[in-house]
Amino acid sequence: MDGPSSKIGLFVWDQGGRLGRAIDLAFLLENLSRAKGIGHCSIVEDPLAPGGLSPVTEGLEKGEFGRVLWVGPFSLEQQEVLRQQLAKAGLNPFLQEWCDLEEQGVCDGEVDQEARQRKALVLVQMALARTRLLEPLVPVEIPASQSVLIVGAGVAGLHAAVSLARLGKRVHLVEKESGVGGKVASLHRFYPRLCDPLCGLEFALQALIGSEMVEFHTLSRVTSVDGGRGNFHVRLTKAPRYVSEDRCNGCGECSRVCPVAIPLTSEGHRSKEYLHALTVRAIHPASPMPFPSAYVIERAYCPPDCEECLKACPSSAVNLEQEPRELELSVGAIIVATGWDPYPLNRVEEFGYGAYPNVITNLDMERVLSSNNRPPRTIGFVQCVGSRDDRHLPYCSSVCCSVTLKQVLYLKQKAPDAHCYVFYQDIRSPGFQEELYQKLKETEGVTFVRGMPSTVRPHGDTGRLRLRVEDTLSGREVNIEVDLLVLAGGMIPSRESEELAGILGLPRNSLGFFESHLQCHPEESQRSGIYVAGCCREPMNVAASIESARHAAMEALPFLNGSVLIKPMYPVVDKTKCDKCKRCMEECPFGSFYFDEDGFPTPHLGRCRQCGNCVGICPLGAISLRHLTMKQMAAQIQAASASFMGKEEPTVLAFLCQNDAYWAAREAVKRGMGVPPNVLFIKVPCAGYVNNALIADALALGIDGVLIAGCEDGQCHYVKGNQLVRKRSDDLSDKLRKMMIEPDRVRFVNLEIRDSAKYAKVMRLFVQELKAMGLNPFKI
Amino acid sequence: MPPKVDREKCDGCKAQQEPLCEQVCPGDLMTLGEDGKAYCRMPRDCWDCMSCTKACPVGAIETRIPYQLGYHVAKLIPLMGTNTITWTCIDINGKVERFRYVNRGRLD
Amino acid sequence: MKQKSVPKDLAEIPTQVIETDVLVVGGGNAGCFAAIEAKSKDPSLRVTIMEKAHISRSGALAAGMDAINTYIRTDKGETPESLVRWSRAQVGGGPIREDLALSIAEILNESVEMLEEWGLPIVKDENGRYKLRGRFDISIQGEQLKPIMAEKAMEMGAKVYNRVAATNLLMHDGRCVGAMGFGVRDGKFYVFKAKATIVTTGGACGIYKNYTSDYSGAHHQTWMCPFNVGTGYAMGIRAGAEMTSLEQRWVAVRTKDFNGPVDTISVAYGCLITNAKGQRVLRDRYAHLGGDKAPRFVRLNAPMVEWLEGRGPVYVDTTLLDEEEAKALKEDLLNERPTFVLFLASRGIDITKEPVEIYGSDPYIVGGHTGSGFWVDMDRMTTIPGLFAAGEAAGGCPNKFVGGCAAEGRLAARGAIKYLASITLPELDSQQVSEEKGRVFAPLLRGPSFDGITPVEMEERLQRLMDEYAGGISQFYRMNEERLDYALKHVKMLQSQTQYLFAKDLHELMNAHEVIDRLDVAELLIHHLKFRKETRWPGWQTRMDYPEINPELDCFVESRRDPRTGVVEVFTRPYEQIIPGDRTTG
Repeated sequence: MDGPSSKIGLFVWDQGGRLGRAIDLAFLLENLSRAKGIGHCSIVEDPLAPGGLSPVTEGLEKGEFGRVLWVGPFSLEQQEVLRQQLAKAGLNPFLQEWCDLEEQGVCDGEVDQEARQRKALVLVQMALARTRLLEPLVPVEIPASQSVLIVGAGVAGLHAAVSLARLGKRVHLVEKESGVGGKVASLHRFYPRLCDPLCGLEFALQALIGSEMVEFHTLSRVTSVDGGRGNFHVRLTKAPRYVSEDRCNGCGECSRVCPVAIPLTSEGHRSKEYLHALTVRAIHPASPMPFPSAYVIERAYCPPDCEECLKACPSSAVNLEQEPRELELSVGAIIVATGWDPYPLNRVEEFGYGAYPNVITNLDMERVLSSNNRPPRTIGFVQCVGSRDDRHLPYCSSVCCSVTLKQVLYLKQKAPDAHCYVFYQDIRSPGFQEELYQKLKETEGVTFVRGMPSTVRPHGDTGRLRLRVEDTLSGREVNIEVDLLVLAGGMIPSRESEELAGILGLPRNSLGFFESHLQCHPEESQRSGIYVAGCCREPMNVAASIESARHAAMEALPFLNGSVLIKPMYPVVDKTKCDKCKRCMEECPFGSFYFDEDGFPTPHLGRCRQCGNCVGICPLGAISLRHLTMKQMAAQIQAASASFMGKEEPTVLAFLCQNDAYWAAREAVKRGMGVPPNVLFIKVPCAGYVNNALIADALALGIDGVLIAGCEDGQCHYVKGNQLVRKRSDDLSDKLRKMMIEPDRVRFVNLEIRDSAKYAKVMRLFVQELKAMGLNPFKI
Repeated sequence: MPPKVDREKCDGCKAQQEPLCEQVCPGDLMTLGEDGKAYCRMPRDCWDCMSCTKACPVGAIETRIPYQLGYHVAKLIPLMGTNTITWTCIDINGKVERFRYVNRGRLD
Repeated sequence: MKQKSVPKDLAEIPTQVIETDVLVVGGGNAGCFAAIEAKSKDPSLRVTIMEKAHISRSGALAAGMDAINTYIRTDKGETPESLVRWSRAQVGGGPIREDLALSIAEILNESVEMLEEWGLPIVKDENGRYKLRGRFDISIQGEQLKPIMAEKAMEMGAKVYNRVAATNLLMHDGRCVGAMGFGVRDGKFYVFKAKATIVTTGGACGIYKNYTSDYSGAHHQTWMCPFNVGTGYAMGIRAGAEMTSLEQRWVAVRTKDFNGPVDTISVAYGCLITNAKGQRVLRDRYAHLGGDKAPRFVRLNAPMVEWLEGRGPVYVDTTLLDEEEAKALKEDLLNERPTFVLFLASRGIDITKEPVEIYGSDPYIVGGHTGSGFWVDMDRMTTIPGLFAAGEAAGGCPNKFVGGCAAEGRLAARGAIKYLASITLPELDSQQVSEEKGRVFAPLLRGPSFDGITPVEMEERLQRLMDEYAGGISQFYRMNEERLDYALKHVKMLQSQTQYLFAKDLHELMNAHEVIDRLDVAELLIHHLKFRKETRWPGWQTRMDYPEINPELDCFVESRRDPRTGVVEVFTRPYEQIIPGDRTTG
């Protein structure tokens, strides 16, 4: 065990001579050279200059030491350079450790030299304690699929498919309807170029049809998903089409002989003349878009024993006995593009949707505009129906104003003497939409009324509707009669989104949309390898949906490479200690744990984000992260001497999360913001890593105060690590109180990345209060 | 001897199959009640080994000497570190004694 | 855990059959060491541990331990022989199985050092050697002793079945081929088929009533682990195994009311026994028997005599300790019986000002402290082929304590490995299995209108009976033939009444079998007490009708119950002295 490979080479880089001026470096080195396990201890002139590493490489070659501890202000990039360079000399990158004395305040001139000297020694000893326990590690490669699953073949799903198929990835598009296209397929036109959606969708389809990389699964739903990024195992259920997709080419002979007509409306609303009740035969083309070209039979409507279509089909494509099928897929990533549903406007009773046949939704209006009928003479549009309203949808769906503006434009093009009223609270026409708005305001026969109709009533027998509105700009109340009232309702997550959230274990925000890290990673969900695109993420227009889909496709790419490289800092469960209490499984923010064959919780390496929250939560300390084990941490804490400052001064040990808190602390010291010298800190991947046993160790050692610093609520990079550790340290504080130890000796603080001043202030206050409390009673 | 469970703190280990105290008790005495909280099914049968007290992750369990043997109220509270344990003993007169020692690892 | 619903009939109860090479019944100190040794000698062996509680804290080491009382400091001139000689003297010259004792002493140090390697903190002196606190006693900080051993056993690959209580051995043609039992949590019936079975279930507590059991809150305020009820002994007895020296009951001086350890206080910190008159009891009255260094049974009896003769209460005088020593003493106690510190705190006692009161404890059968247990050969095989015993379950060798039991576990594993090399597992005897399953679950399946007795009622009946008639503490351990006969008669009566036991859940079912097992041990114990018509170790066995030592009984008393007829035969085996010299001096 005491061979050369476990000895440590300690190298100090005194950049700019700062350290040498702050402390007696020679004395420090002399002390350290006698420490346990040291094979070499010296100052290195300029390790990053050419040839600067020779003392290290020589020492490694001679076998003087097998691991290296650097003392000096190395930046993260410089650390990476050293890792790579020494890797060439045969040193495993995980057998190197860095200790930055400056960032811990050792060069702070305000502090007594003696104390600085002792603090430096303690800090290096802490780093040595960790270095002794390092292990050589190699990344783990897990084989991964090169297929992707896209749920939803609407505009977002289709465009995501295009991006990935183009790059040679196998795409599985799952769609619940018999045809692709989603909501966009039922639109009349979409802005900004007022394209016909069939044209726009066709464009995407062209890239997909005939590609052997793309498989369409229509009339299909996802029923279960197991596994993690790189290796998802998906089950689909495919409902029967009753028509063979290989044989049917959509000639339509069957439709001509089908005796049954069925309505094809949306939302179950009574259809009337304006809505030109669409009917189709029981055997009809795929909808909303006739792709795949195979027809589909609404079997529930078939009269008993009727086989007309079967007899009529020239290609024997009809199969009336078809059964539902199950399918299993292996994919490397999943893109969720399950879209939206319109908010059910019958709930907004004051506007009479569902009560009067000539009150329709903006989605219905698209169909009206698509029909060849002459549009009515007077049409009213009401904005924000059920939106921005605490009783219904508290948010703005962002597209409805633009939709109305474009609908007004088409109307005027179709029927120049039609009159349109737009009843609004605010017209939201961002960016280039503003031009359209201004144009319409000037147009004859278009009136914008700033006010919401307070009542909507039928106007006698005429069939028209009478609205009473207060025009808030003029202050006058007006009565207006319209032939047709179009309600601009909002978008809600589709029912399929809800179902899928359950299957995938994806959390949703309070509004029901998939939760994502909006600014930095809008398409990333809380499960590695699963991305959300389009309106299931938040209401957006078609152009934005397409961008979102393309983005999600990019994000998914790394998991479609045939293998996934996992950094070797993953959690390991000690099965001799674990008693399967499952806390790790429950609290893991990413649902990474599953039960192995022996019933022990095990992390799925493909899902795990290596945050260490499992380490923190385990009541038996049975979980460790490789390269950041409980033993390594305990050894560091043990090395932290309780009184390097002098008998009466308290010592504070801080655990800083390396995402925000550490940077704030570093800056605070660098800019001399008055961080008291009593503080020693240790970086952790997430505040949630801090296990209560480590805090107990610190207190038992006689450390006077322990501070845990994590991100602000809602900003924790691992969702809720900061909250988890806070709850645990609160429990611990309760215990401390029972033990007649001041519960305030253990504190938690939320820090944002630039909260340096806050950090310094919190520390000053802590030290002050600790002085008032007196020394830790465990300073035995 | 009877382990006293603080019903506010105890969350039944989230009403798992077996809370940690139940997992460890050498006498099969700690168990989960119908209300989802742990309790000792037969306090007179406890041998006061304190395994439940040490195991509870939220510190909800306290071990007490039965009144037949000792007065009210003395406390003995263990705090588990990774390789140390600290004990705080508070007697009936409020006198506090603290102990700390290494419980894992060589002593050299 | 949500209580499993009570099954309505036997058919509802699933049976799980497991095959293994070595079965260890009882995952305690000796059990873990047996498993570890078996796996380390042959990693390909299937080793299974059957444990009624959870291996991480089961048995006598649940709270921890503060000392290992057997370690040979060879640099101080001690040898395995000197240890055995000392052990022999501690039991008044024996008889002891010197052969067994030597075999343990030879691998004793190594076994203790293994514990340190696995992470047990052992206190060292300035030269880095284990620090002695008595002649052979070393101090450890053993709060984690049990988890450390348990983890090692699991790491070595032993398969542990927690919460499975053993109820009977599985027999085939007079050989032991495993054991049967039931899941205390999952309610299944378990059958372990094993080529060799090692019984390490510890000793038997709760055969006698402890004096604090008058009070409702303190029924289990015993020195010994109350969850060790002698199941191993009972299973062997029922299969016809030969037991030895059961009359050597382990009774010791303990802290009054709490029944906490006193050895730590008297041996390690040198606190002497004093009485209410301030007299140094051992020095003044027992000088001829060794004074302050007198054997353990003398130290036990002394306070009882003081009490009887009106000079009680009796103490160990801690008032001579300074603050630092008192604190160190408490720290030791925290490692072994932490609640004793709580007890002192709950009486507001400052031990530097008030001495600690002591008294005797209720009697236990503990083969790790005295020689009671299975008669075994050098391979630790009992008189039943295929059945091995180690630790407190194995007899003949007193003063093993933690170190010796660990060493013996290893020896039993070696014996088991040797034995099983030529063994193939027979077919399962389905009749035996179904009979045992019926016997095991009978108390649970009585039905709601059953008119019977609860296990606790029978347990208290037994304990009171033994206390009053078989030399329990209320009798200052005194017994005579007529009382012993009375006790035997009523134990047999209780045995015939176990058919009325009913249990409302699995926990109570476990309690039912615990009382059944205690009865079988009690029966043989009384036979031993009757047979030894002398008083060789007052306290452990005080025969009022035979108060002197009878030199003809300088031998082992053995017993065996015929599994078919139930008849108990009691006989002797000769003592063989291996280490020469005066047996009463160590």
